[in-house]
Amino acid sequence: MNAMLPPQLMTTPPLLTMTGLCRRYGRVTALDDVSAMVYPGEVLGIVGESGSGKSTLLRMMNLEDTPDSGDYRLALPDLPGNLFDLDRFARRMLCATRIGIVYQNPHQGLLMKHTSSGNVAERLLIAGERSFAALRARGRVALEASEFPLDRMDARPIELSGGMQQRVQLAKAIALEPALLLLDEPTTGLDVSVQALVLDTLKRLQRDRAITMVIVSHDLGVLRTMADRVMVMRHGRVVEQGLADQVFQDPQHEYTQSLVHAKL
Amino acid sequence: MAYVATRGGARAIDQSERLYRAELGQIDATRVTTLRQSLPNLIDRVMGEASLYEPDLAALALAQTGGDLYEAVLLLRAWRTTQPRLAIAAPVLQEDLITHRRISAAFKDIPGGQILGPTLDYAHRLLATDVLQGRPYTPTPVEPAATPAPAHQPSLAAWQKAQGLVADPLREDVAPDAIPDLTREPLLFPAKRAHTLQSLARADTGGMLALGYAAMRGYGNAHPTVNELRLAEAEVRVTHPSGTVFSAGRVKVSQAEVTSKGKSGQLNLGFCATLGWNEVKVISGATLDLNAAAAPKGSPVEEEFFLYHTEPVEASGFCIHFKLPHYVTFQSALDALRGAKTAEVPA
Amino acid sequence: MTIAALTKAWQPMSYGFLDPSAKRELRRKMLKAIAVPGCQMPYASREVPMARGWGTGGLQVTLTLLKPQSVVKVIDQGADDSVNAASIRSFLSKVSGAAETWDTLAATIIQSRHRIPEERLRADQVLVLQVPNPEPLRPVEPNMSIARQMHADADYGRLWLILYEQMVRAGRIMEGAAYPALVNGRHVMTPSPIPRWDVPKLHMAQHLTFLSAGREKRLYAVPPFTRVEPLVFSDVPYQVEDHGGLTCHRSGVTGYFMNEIPQDVGSVFELSDSHLGIKAIRLSQAEGGVEGAADQIGPTWYENGVMP
Repeated sequence: MNAMLPPQLMTTPPLLTMTGLCRRYGRVTALDDVSAMVYPGEVLGIVGESGSGKSTLLRMMNLEDTPDSGDYRLALPDLPGNLFDLDRFARRMLCATRIGIVYQNPHQGLLMKHTSSGNVAERLLIAGERSFAALRARGRVALEASEFPLDRMDARPIELSGGMQQRVQLAKAIALEPALLLLDEPTTGLDVSVQALVLDTLKRLQRDRAITMVIVSHDLGVLRTMADRVMVMRHGRVVEQGLADQVFQDPQHEYTQSLVHAKL
Repeated sequence: MAYVATRGGARAIDQSERLYRAELGQIDATRVTTLRQSLPNLIDRVMGEASLYEPDLAALALAQTGGDLYEAVLLLRAWRTTQPRLAIAAPVLQEDLITHRRISAAFKDIPGGQILGPTLDYAHRLLATDVLQGRPYTPTPVEPAATPAPAHQPSLAAWQKAQGLVADPLREDVAPDAIPDLTREPLLFPAKRAHTLQSLARADTGGMLALGYAAMRGYGNAHPTVNELRLAEAEVRVTHPSGTVFSAGRVKVSQAEVTSKGKSGQLNLGFCATLGWNEVKVISGATLDLNAAAAPKGSPVEEEFFLYHTEPVEASGFCIHFKLPHYVTFQSALDALRGAKTAEVPA
Repeated sequence: MTIAALTKAWQPMSYGFLDPSAKRELRRKMLKAIAVPGCQMPYASREVPMARGWGTGGLQVTLTLLKPQSVVKVIDQGADDSVNAASIRSFLSKVSGAAETWDTLAATIIQSRHRIPEERLRADQVLVLQVPNPEPLRPVEPNMSIARQMHADADYGRLWLILYEQMVRAGRIMEGAAYPALVNGRHVMTPSPIPRWDVPKLHMAQHLTFLSAGREKRLYAVPPFTRVEPLVFSDVPYQVEDHGGLTCHRSGVTGYFMNEIPQDVGSVFELSDSHLGIKAIRLSQAEGGVEGAADQIGPTWYENGVMP
């Protein structure tokens, strides 16, 4: 696991850097001066109860929302400056080609009336792929990597089980080999056995491709399995962060302590 | 020399029109006058949908089309759009309306009082078959009240605003000739408020009832209570180039305001007004307006949905256009279909 | 018929029916449409003395372009004598004093529903196509406000997705008429429900094309020498209707778009461009010694059933 890598990891520049994010919705403060960094190949877990700001933060990473103030950079070629300053078109292209996302609710991430392979193909089409044969082939590769049964590739997601739907979302997210993969409660709501299988797939993908991931979950078990580093959020603030093992075994903040104890 | 025998061309369309008009017979001023006098409610409905207040022309349009409402409205609209715009009337305030009927279902009594006015609401709907036996029906004379109701009535919403029951929206101070005009600009969404109200005023009564009724039955998100319904006459005030303000006449108008409980602890309002007296239309329209604010995209109570689909000229025109030949498009589809049967499905 | 007689008889009506304010708006929108090829321009769309859906959009554009020297041709499904074409043509000449013609070569303005004539249009001709539904994104997004944003974003992924799934399901593209096309590399437009046969005629054409939807209140244009590329996969060629080899049973002409006429056994075919058929018959009669054939058939887009 990456957590085993030597500390030299910290000398490589982070892929994702967010600084001083603030966001209010009316009277509600969703994010209160939140900063985050994710290093290449690393899995960052974000944990917190609902309303802690973890999902808002993930939406910001996917440029679905803009903070009142704050800075967001990805260390990618041709992307200098604050990503929140990008125009609508550039944002859309960036999200489509460099960032993949898997939502808790597959209805949010998938076109339910279209085929599963079509959902993957749409990503490739947005990125400019115009060969039908290539769309089929690349779609197959992505679905296979998500351990989706290929004989069902032209079924509509609505006809599939929850676990399979998540695999279609995952295939869609990784089809363009994004620099950053965002996972928003990807296994919440699935049966425990299915959940384990999906997590297995995610781990295998991570190992094979060294994809940089950010995973948001309220489930400590998921983060214990997946994350190298963990950020604990509460009331829109980061209350504790550190290596996953360290945070789970020796929580410093009393909120984290209560979370870990509740889990035990 | 017609190349294709199945098309009749100019002669056929000429004869088919004659056939239609022959059925209606001669139209003269007497027939138009009779229609205007005997069918005031129909005239009102046509004038509202045509957005042209001219009872004689509306009666003429009905005479010319034999009472086909969509054709009559189209006729009036096509005439209306060619007319020069001489002046723009001053806005009419609710308290300035000469009110014939004013009711509220929200309160037992309201400031200014409930005025029943002319209505069939509490009448028994019995056919006067005697008329067909040669015994004319003569309406019983109205007995005037001892004290006539005041012609001008305050707006109930104004009272509610003063009580803090409804939000007082910021009133935009727009000069009358700067008010957006739906007949001169395309309707885009989110719609300008003026466009929404104009579109509702011109909407098809039947279409509005269907969608409004769907909203009332539960496909909407707000259950309406009639806050205030009015049948009234409005003074058309215009300014002469010399600067004199004068009345160019009166027009019959109806308006409905419906209300429901909002999230913020205040009442939400929906509003609809139209030329002529047409209660079903304004209540339905106000209900749709009430529902529009919180409507999800694509729902029948969303503004874009109900405004596009209750436009009488567009809706009826598109419906009857399906009678036009479509054999080129059909041929093209057929070609694709035949090709598909033989094409191999790739793995 | 002179204009003077008309304007006297129809005092309240402006020349060409539409009043100057309506024409001014249309001219502005038409210029904008030319400036941004394929981009739908919303316009007020006045009521005209014809039902919506019956060519009122095309009519308004044509009325704005007409002058007394114009020569106007109107076709419906390729035919000049189709009832609605006849009705529109007579209205146009009545309110403008323009001359009527059936001959594509003689026309200065051609208003059409569902077809582009087979003879090549020239730089001095304008084609006005009637459009029932101007929105190529309607099948994937019925909400017009969202569709407008998608055009602004050049967000055509879901449109492509439809084509992808047709390939998956049927092994070929199943679009019939109104095949979506990318104009000038930027906006996807619906070329109106013309058959696929006609779409390539718009590509780098010499003439100006207006497409106008009166009911939906949108107009757009393909200026001369503008790229019009049907959406196709790089490895699945664009397929026009398989009509190149069919022969018209009336005129004997081969190589153009045909109407299929079902028979007790099988079908026969006739030219969809009806006046091309008339000219071909007259010319063959002239060759046979029959008098009165001054007709000419101009260069056509398709030659021997294929687009060169």
